[in-house]
Parts: sequence; C-alpha cells; structure tokens
Amino acid sequence: MKNSTLFLLSIFFIGTTVFAQEKKIKQGLQGHTNQNKFKQLKDQFSTPNSQRTASGAPGVNYTQQKVDYVMDIVLDDENKRISGKETIVYHNNSKDELAYLWVQLDQNMRAKDSKTPDIQPSKIPNSMPVKSFNLKYPKTPFDGGFNIISVTNLDNSNLSHTINQTMMRINLPEPLAAGKTFSFKINWWYNINNHREIGGRSGYEHFAENGNNNYVIAQFFPRLCVYDNVEGWQNDQFWGRSEFALEFGDYTVHITTPKDHMLGATGVLQNESEVLSRKELKRLAKAKNTFDQPVLIRTQEEATKIEKSKSSATKTWKFEAKNVRDYAFASSRKFIWDAMAVDINGKTVMAYSLYSKEANPLYGEHSTRAVAQTLKTYSKYTFDYPYHKAISVDGQMGMEYPQICFNPGRPNADGTYSDRTKYRMIKVTIHEVGHNFFPMIVNSDERQWTWMDEGLNSYVEMLAELAYDKDFPITRGYPKNIIKYMNGDQSKIAPIMTKGDNVYSFGSNAYGKPATALWILRETIMGPELFDHAFRTYSQRWMFKHPTPADFFRTMEDASGIDLDWFWRGWFYTTDVTDIGIKNVKKFHTKTKENEVRFIEDTTKGLGFGDDKDSNSKFHYEITYNKPGGLVMPIIVYYTYKDGTKERKVYPAQIWRFNDKEITKVFSSSKEITKITIDPNQETADVNTSNNSWPKEDKNKFEKFKRKIKG
Amino acid sequence: MNIQKLLLLLFIIPLLSFSPHKYYLSLTQIEYKNESRSIQISINVFMDDIEIALNKKYQIDLQLASNQELKNNDDYFKKYLKEKLHLKINDFPREYNYIGKEYDGDLVYFYLEVENIDGITSLEVENTILTTYFPKQENLLKTKIYNKYQSLLLTAKKTKGLLKFL
Repeated sequence: MKNSTLFLLSIFFIGTTVFAQEKKIKQGLQGHTNQNKFKQLKDQFSTPNSQRTASGAPGVNYTQQKVDYVMDIVLDDENKRISGKETIVYHNNSKDELAYLWVQLDQNMRAKDSKTPDIQPSKIPNSMPVKSFNLKYPKTPFDGGFNIISVTNLDNSNLSHTINQTMMRINLPEPLAAGKTFSFKINWWYNINNHREIGGRSGYEHFAENGNNNYVIAQFFPRLCVYDNVEGWQNDQFWGRSEFALEFGDYTVHITTPKDHMLGATGVLQNESEVLSRKELKRLAKAKNTFDQPVLIRTQEEATKIEKSKSSATKTWKFEAKNVRDYAFASSRKFIWDAMAVDINGKTVMAYSLYSKEANPLYGEHSTRAVAQTLKTYSKYTFDYPYHKAISVDGQMGMEYPQICFNPGRPNADGTYSDRTKYRMIKVTIHEVGHNFFPMIVNSDERQWTWMDEGLNSYVEMLAELAYDKDFPITRGYPKNIIKYMNGDQSKIAPIMTKGDNVYSFGSNAYGKPATALWILRETIMGPELFDHAFRTYSQRWMFKHPTPADFFRTMEDASGIDLDWFWRGWFYTTDVTDIGIKNVKKFHTKTKENEVRFIEDTTKGLGFGDDKDSNSKFHYEITYNKPGGLVMPIIVYYTYKDGTKERKVYPAQIWRFNDKEITKVFSSSKEITKITIDPNQETADVNTSNNSWPKEDKNKFEKFKRKIKG
Repeated sequence: MNIQKLLLLLFIIPLLSFSPHKYYLSLTQIEYKNESRSIQISINVFMDDIEIALNKKYQIDLQLASNQELKNNDDYFKKYLKEKLHLKINDFPREYNYIGKEYDGDLVYFYLEVENIDGITSLEVENTILTTYFPKQENLLKTKIYNKYQSLLLTAKKTKGLLKFL
C-alpha cells in the first residue's frame, strides 16, 4: 500500500472515530452533573440544624459564649506604654465540655518575631525615601508585642498556658463543663506603636509642637476567641488584615491617664464629676437636649491652652459597658469635644466627636453631624441603635470599635479644605460609625468573612451618605463603579466568598463588590420594599449574635419569597461578569386567512417595516439576546417607539435557565420600534456595552467623545 | 499629604490596610479602526491618584472636578502622558494626538489617537503611568485589533510589552 493511501485511510478512520464520539454526546449518552446556574446552593451551605435553621434564623438550640472583663488600665504617656490587670469571666453557654480556652494576643503581630512581615512577598524598588528606608530596615526593630507578666487563677496561682504567635491557649486545670464559668487573670503591658509612622489600627500620633500624643487604643488587651458550632475555636492567626471574631460580654474598665487628658471610650462613664470640670458637665447636660447642632463641651481655645503644659498627676476614668463585643478608647491633652443629641425613635442617643485643633474646622463642621446621620439612617434600615452613644475620633486612620471609631481627614494649615477632603472624611466617618451595626452588633466573623461586615456596611453607608447630602459623590457601590474591578485581570480577582487574608484588591473584593450586589438586589432585582424587609429581618434576627454567610443568604430569601441562589452563586461564589447583548432582531407582521394567523417576516434593513405590512397588524419582533458574560442577570430592555416614547421591560434572570448563552424573546406592540437598548442606566454592571443597542451603535465611546470635542 | 508621608503609607501600610482600602490600576483600551486608519486609545485612571502624581511632579494644585480646577490642566496631562506612554507600531515609534479627557465618578478618561495607520503587525507599549508614585500601580492594557482581543498587564517592574498580529 502506498503511503499516501495509508494516510488517506488513517484520516478517514480518525475522522469517523471523532465523529462517532460527537454523535454519542449529541445523543445524550455522555452523562454530566447538574451545572445549571439556577441549581440550589445546598452543596455550598452548611446543613441546617437546630442552632442555625434552614430559614436563616437562629434555632431553638442556638447558643453563644459570654465573656466578661474587669480591667485596670494605665496609659503611660511618658514612655508610650500601656499596661493592664485583667480579670476574665468566661461563661461556657455551649453544650460542649471545653478542655482549653483560646485568647487573642493581637499586639503580637507587632512583636519582634512576628511572622506577618515574613508572609509578604517583597521586591527591591528602584528607590525609596530615606525615612521609609529607615522604617523598613530599622537599626533596632520596634517591639510592640505583648509582655505577658502573669496568667493566673483568681487565687494568684499560676495557670498553665501556651503562646502560639497571636494566640494563647489556656490549659484549664479541669475541663469546663457546659453551663459553667471559669475566671482567670492576665497582667500585661506593651509598647504603643506610632501608627502614623509604622501603621496600625491603633497607636499614637506624635505632635512636635508641645510634644503631645493623641492615643487611639484598641485590640489592646488579651481577648477571648469565639467558640461556636461553625469554626470550633476561631483561632486563626491575626496577620494584620482580616479582623476579629469576638464574644459579647460586660466590661468594667478603669483607665488611668494623665490628669489633663480628655478621654472617650466604649461604655457609660460612671464618674463624670471626678473627671470632667463643672463647666464641662453643664455643657454636656445642655448637649443632651440639643438635637440640631453640636455643643462644644471642650472648646478649641481650652484645648489649646491645656496642651501647652503637662500634668504629672493622673486621674482614673471609670466605665461600665454592657453587651459589647470589644473595648477601645482615645485619649489626649489636645482633644476638643463636641456633642449632639440624636432622636432614635424617641430614645436619645449621643453623637460625640473628639479632635485636635489640627482637624478643625473640618471636624467641628462635619464629624458629629455625620455620626448623627449614620445612627438615624442605619436605625431606619436595621434596628434602633441600642447603645447610648457613638464617638468619632480624629485618629487619622479608618478603624471601628464598639461605640467609638478613629477617622481620617484634616484641613490645610490655613483651615481651608477641598471638597474631596471633606467628602472623604464624611464617607469614612459614616462607614466607621456604621460598623457599630455590622459587625459590632450583627457580629459576623471578620477573620473568616471580611465582606459580611464590610460589604453590608458599605451598602448602608451609601444610603446614609445620600441622606447626609443628596449630591454626595458616591464612588463605591453603584454598579458602574465596580466594572473596572470586575473586568480586570482574572488572575488578580478572587470570589467574594474567600477568606479576607487571601483576596486581591481587598477594597473592591470585600467592600465594593458586595455593596454593589446588595444595591442591585434592592434597586433592580427585589425592589426596595421586599429587600428592605428582608435586610431588616436579617439584621434583627442576628442582633447580638454570630451570623454566617448562609444565615444571611437564607434569610434574604426566606423573608422575601425570592429564590436568590443563582445570584449568590454568581456574585459571591464566582468571578464572573455581566455581559448581555443583542445578537439579532427579526421583524414580523401578520396576515389572517380564514382561521389561521400567519407571521410574515419583514426582511427590510433596520427596525422599520416595509410597505407590505397590513395596517391592522401589530409589530412583532423576535429578538435574540446573547450572554457572553458568565453571570445570569435580568435582561433590562428599553424599547424606543417611533413617537419618541420609551417602554421599560425587565425579563427576570430565570429567562436564562434553559440556555445560558443565548435566548430569543418575542416583543409585540401596536407601535413601531426605532431602537432597542439593554440596561441604559447601568443597573447591572455590564462590562461591555458595545453590544447593548439595536441597531448597533456605530460610534464607540471614543468616537462619541471625539465628536463632542471636535464638533 | 507630603510625598514622604505618602510613600511611607504606600510602603508600610499595604500589609495593614484599613477600611477604605483601594487598589492601584489603570485601564488602557486600544482599538484599531480600519475605516479611519487610526488607533483609538482610551485610558482610565483613578482621579485622586493622577492628581497626587501630577501635583507633586509639576508642583501644581489641580483640584480636578471642582470649581477651582486649574484651567490649563490639559497641558499637564498631555505632558505627563507624553513622558509615560510610548507606542511602537510595526517597530517604529509613533506619536499620538491628545484628543481630550472626561470625568466619570472617581475616574478620569483620556482619549488619544494615532492617525494614518495602514495596518498593524506589531504593537509595543511602554506604560509607566503612576508607577513612580504608586509602587503597587498596575497598568492593564486591553486591545481589540482585527477583531482579536488581547491583554497585557504592566507594572513598575515590567513597563513594556509587545503584541503581535501576524
């Protein structure tokens, strides 16, 4: 046999084999699992049980631990050190017996042997400023880790413990039975970091003028880890990014500061008359009845005078905080303090701001008002703010703790400030105060799921910003804001359902995208009425409890009667994008003959009809929509009629359930259509709008701009 | 914020990011149009980043999208892009026209055009927009040339990329 014949024969056989295989698939002999995008999410959610129900509510056997703290804290301004004597009362409300407890030592992230810097890949930059170089390669590294002086039982006998980086295991003398309580003591101190120089979510800022420090102190005491039926002990290391999982409890805290410091902290101040002047008490009483503008408790003039000297005496501030998940405070000689009363459905809550003169007049004009707006708007969409106050501190970062948060933004030296500085400061203040709701009260696990508090909070933040100023320049949360991120390089994008430590573009992944997802649910998919009810239901069900993602997803469906599994899968479990287009349009008119209506295709170009059309016939359009994007989303179509009027039609996402790539849909009207447009108001984060119009847009964004410029 | 502090923040804080976190990315879209024999370029950058970079570089106060906006800001943008974005088409350096810019939320879009291009066999792009001030800056490039889509990710370390169309 000649080679060429062999070749031809082999081609024939290979060809028929391939053909046979294709046929097999076509005939449906090749099996497959359910890949439908509308498949229920049961394989992703944990199985419902009597602690967490299928409806998304806490179940009859839901329990959570409670941890109470009694602490004596001393802030040593001279050495920039803080020390504490802490008694912890741990209530084991679970049904489990515990052999050990886990305690978080967050400050060890800043210890000399911290592994946090070791997990950051690094490169040699082309150059860097001397100051940055000296900080990155210091002669003596800063040691900001905890110094644990003692861990003891109440009788001061030693308690066995093991420190593993940012976690400490307390080895209980005997297992702690369900329903029982264990009390123990920890004495500690650490060097406070200069957060303006080496960063951090707490620390001090130093002012060369008069040598003062503003302290914003948080994550400063050994705190118990969460124990639950989801993670067991949530004792994942604190690497510096993914925040906290904390139990609720009652706090009795005494803080000793220099006598001339002004201080704000979590909890109700018990000894006002010992730490505030008579004048300040009088002003505070006035503020408690002033709902329209902030009242200065300590003025800039007074603060400026105080910061010029340093008292060597001390005073002790005494606080009681009930049912909070954490504790933080801010203290400085420099603080100006203003206060305003806020009416939350008949209950008075106080909005406070503490700021140095460097932050004025920006803070005086906006800080307390932004706090008040946040409390009002969030209370409207979730539950009435249950605490007595919320404080915003000029901390020059953006970090949140119960009833107190640290915010950025300062005016220029001459007191002027740009709109950008103003709106950024208000935005962050609203965001951080908003965290009082998520996660300080709706207490999700931040170490595991950053988006559960940041995403939900970033969404309600938008509503508060628009209430503060209807023209507020919102740059995160609208669908169009997220396109740049979602349409980016796929190798640098993670699904929202990814642990916070492991996501790229943290801000877009855990803040912007989930906020956008909720915005789209409210505005486009569920409607405000159903969405708001479901969102409020979730917030109220999980107030002072520990929700998981499934509890949120389930509640949103359970309370609204809308199956959203397809939406959660696409937006939260994948990195797919929205891209829906119009592929083709066919036009038909009808002719009735005897008992039959016949559809006759009009093959003329464009959307207009030729002369053949019977004037009695309606205009029938068979439109082929395609979906290059992986996300299933509703098709939002605007039909423009010849008379200039428009009709909006929304085909629910379920239209894609039988074909994920392409569907056809008939639209019939008594008026002729001139234009069909998909999602012209940018409601779906469609990453490619070049296929959104019919007839096809002949001009792209570039050409439209050029025509506008060149005329 | 002075540049020392800014660089400090950028070097030290990325591992300790706070609440309003952000990312550093520009997107350059390049399309070749047979009909007009031109290459259309649109670039979007974050407004606050480009403002910081230009203010420092040229010692100006742009105040973009405000009523105190610097009137001749296009001159600076032109100058900046000319220094930071270089194109080689079919192995030859080519100049582009600066058509203009527009604002959209927190983004600034620049529109550039290269005229009299009869065909493309290769396109080399060197893009160092914002990489001096923002070490984490990434410049993503997406091209649509002869109905073929390609993309390229450039960084402070990898500033150049070559695409071929043969």
